[in-house]
Amino acid sequence: MSETVHLTIDGREIAADPTVSILQAYAQSGAELTANVGCMGQGVCGSCRCMVRKDGERQVSTLLACETRVEPGMQVSFIDYFLPAHVHHYDLKDLHDSWGMLDQIRAVFPEAEHCRHCSGCDRACPKGLPVQSGVAFSVAGDIAAAAAVFDQCVMCNLCTLACPENIRPNHLGLFVRRSVAALTLRPIDLMRRLREVASGEMSVNVTLPRVETATAAPRLAAPAQDR
Amino acid sequence: MTSMISHAQALQALRPGADAPMRADGLAVNDLLERFHPDYGAKARVSLRIGANAGAPCHPALAGLLESNALIDDLDLAGAEPLATDVLVIGGGGAGAAAAVTAAMRGARVIIATKLRIGDSNTVMAEGGIQAAVGADDSLQRHYEDTLRGGHNEGDRALIAQMVSDAPEVIRWLIDLGMAFDLAEDKALGSTLLRKKAGGTTASRILCHRDFTGLEMMRVLREAVELQRGIEQLNRCPAVELLSHDDGSCAGAILYDLERRSFVLVRARAVVLATGGSGRLHLQGFPTSNHYGATADGLVLAYRLGARMCDLDSFQYHPTGVAHPRHLAGGLISESARSAGAHLLNGLGERFVDELKPRDVVAAAILRECAEGRGIARDGQTGVFLDARALVAADPDILETRLVSLGHLAAKCGLDPRQEPFLVYPTLHYQNGGVMIDGDGATSVPGLLCAGEVSGGIHGRNRLMGNALLDIISFGRRAGTRAAESLGQRQAGRGGINHVHRWRRALAQAELPADVRAPLLYPSYGNFHLRRTAAA
Ligand SMILES: Cc1cc2nc3c(=O)[nH]c(=O)nc-3n(C[C@H](O)[C@H](O)[C@H](O)COP(=O)(O)OP(=O)(O)OC[C@H]3O[C@@H](n4cnc5c(N)ncnc54)[C@H](O)[C@@H]3O)c2cc1C
Ligand code: SF4
Ligand code: SF4
Ligand code: FES
Repeated sequence: MSETVHLTIDGREIAADPTVSILQAYAQSGAELTANVGCMGQGVCGSCRCMVRKDGERQVSTLLACETRVEPGMQVSFIDYFLPAHVHHYDLKDLHDSWGMLDQIRAVFPEAEHCRHCSGCDRACPKGLPVQSGVAFSVAGDIAAAAAVFDQCVMCNLCTLACPENIRPNHLGLFVRRSVAALTLRPIDLMRRLREVASGEMSVNVTLPRVETATAAPRLAAPAQDR
Repeated sequence: MTSMISHAQALQALRPGADAPMRADGLAVNDLLERFHPDYGAKARVSLRIGANAGAPCHPALAGLLESNALIDDLDLAGAEPLATDVLVIGGGGAGAAAAVTAAMRGARVIIATKLRIGDSNTVMAEGGIQAAVGADDSLQRHYEDTLRGGHNEGDRALIAQMVSDAPEVIRWLIDLGMAFDLAEDKALGSTLLRKKAGGTTASRILCHRDFTGLEMMRVLREAVELQRGIEQLNRCPAVELLSHDDGSCAGAILYDLERRSFVLVRARAVVLATGGSGRLHLQGFPTSNHYGATADGLVLAYRLGARMCDLDSFQYHPTGVAHPRHLAGGLISESARSAGAHLLNGLGERFVDELKPRDVVAAAILRECAEGRGIARDGQTGVFLDARALVAADPDILETRLVSLGHLAAKCGLDPRQEPFLVYPTLHYQNGGVMIDGDGATSVPGLLCAGEVSGGIHGRNRLMGNALLDIISFGRRAGTRAAESLGQRQAGRGGINHVHRWRRALAQAELPADVRAPLLYPSYGNFHLRRTAAA
């Protein structure tokens, strides 16, 4: 780890080891880190969303800071979770009739039909998901395809921030996914087991295995005297 | 320092094609654990001096936090913004979200306070899956006995029995909320759930959504919380102390609002503590798989108010944390990989343990290889190989289907799992012990309930894969239900911090330092100091 990388994060000039992520570099710089962080490397919580302009490039991209390595001359600013003024409310329990699914999508997410195909959401997605097509599939009623588009969505909300029509693509995607599961997922083995448990046909006998036959636990060292 | 085998040498020792031989010098399980597992050594425990567990063993680093001074004083209370609610849920992972949704569905007014944002948790990181005995070849009894045995017979039998019996209903509840599970066959009706095998289980019992089950669970639960009437979210508002009535019962909590840099005082009829685990304490110098907020806050808060705990000297070290590259160290490689057939190999190219033994056994076996000079060194990091080459060769699509996260991780590590094995080393993963609860999540402190990783007693001294996700929903829902029952009760008094005053006297009597303050809220590398930044 010879050379050091210099970059700017939220206005701070930072010198970092080239192997670390933006998020690690920020923490190691002594900055207070109480927001825009969660899983810290796994890239699944979506909280470390940030804008990055690379050295010599004019374009700004949105990325996850815990999954992106530092590069010389990067300019980074974190983006807080974006909460638009209008949020789409629904109660999944109202969805008991799957024949009404298309109408439901239209009723809850009426803006989806107004997609301008501006690709703002596609460019915003740090996971590289084809978000726009997910919106189109939802409107067209290709429910399975829509659900698949958002399968790996980490709900960072960057597409919601990017969308000029307040479609909230990721929440639309999640609505579709939740509807599919709640309305169609009926595993037969689960149903059978639920019935057996409810009827009392299957239960647990807590006296088994008998204590005497249980194997001895490994021995622990005695507590240390000093700390 | 123990000698190691270099990475280059270890790669050469890999036998192409042929099955790797198994070493013949395996130790008996208890022997292996006593000699090599971090929980069993001389540095692993001290006796607590004050509080409800005085005299009982506890990990020294955790003991330092449990026997510490509060972050706040009476003065802080005076300037705090007062709020009141029926149920206060502290922590926005799976357990907290399940409790909040359940309590609100039962008509309670709920405030959910989180340190980061709702969902930024260990729950969202879970990969492998959730246990529920649904298979025709499986039963609640087998799930119960596997869990009990996995925990070395130290778990609470009644709690385990209740949890495994809840499991099928937990899965149904999650499906009704809109969570997807993988199916064994691709057909709309009549299909069965895809079931995977976990270390230490006698039947295939892990249900999953690919290998990012926690992400699927958390995004559904988070949306359910956000859309549920009757829940108010206070994000970036960590609990810094609980509030008590004069009789010692819980009266709510004091939060610190990081955006306004001021205190908030929430009075509640019932508090559900769901703050998760403690991996970010990096016990005994281990890296961790846990999220940034896993700093044992809930244990500290509950202990100061008098809650009884158990197994505070018992932690799970997941066998396969990333060891190389260094900046990813500690990150998890899910048990799904071993479950699908990946092998562990030492620097001589030998297998040394049945990869699907319980986690503590496999972790101890890896530590043994490293201690006895058969570990592998690369750029100053040590570990053993996790070899998925044969697995991927046999099923070339697997990295796009069942092991998506593994594929992502390989890319981040800069290696091709078809060609090269991962370097892995145990990582601090799970807090086995915690606050003692009854079947409803009630603790020994009236008004204080606990659910999820912060609680103890279920998994004994070792947890099986998939039982944590089950635990958080099973007990989260039950705690939420119980908390909502406090609805009609009259709220007596305002609540204060007399328990803190009593605690300070106890600290002084035991000659413990008054300048160690907790909860930590953030790891030391978060550079957060309440006193430096507080408005007061
Ligand atoms: C990488 C990884 C993979 C895993 N895989 C699996 C698996 O496949 N199967 C399985 O069963 N289990 C798995 N586990 C374990 C399981 O995910 C956790 O034990 C479980 O999700 C814990 O849920 P919880 O709700 O109790 O805590 P968490 O989900 O951690 O949530 C706790 C929340 O409380 C917040 N909090 C903490 N302190 C405070 C405070 N002072 N004030 C307010 N809020 C606070 C935290 O920030 C967090 O949001 C895994 C764990 C990890 C880390
Ligand atoms: S689809 Fe939207 S919310 Fe999901 S990961 Fe992409 S940008 Fe983030
Ligand atoms: S950002 Fe909005 S309007 Fe533009 S393509 Fe995406 S969904 Fe359509
Ligand atoms: S910290 Fe979770 S995605 Fe980056």
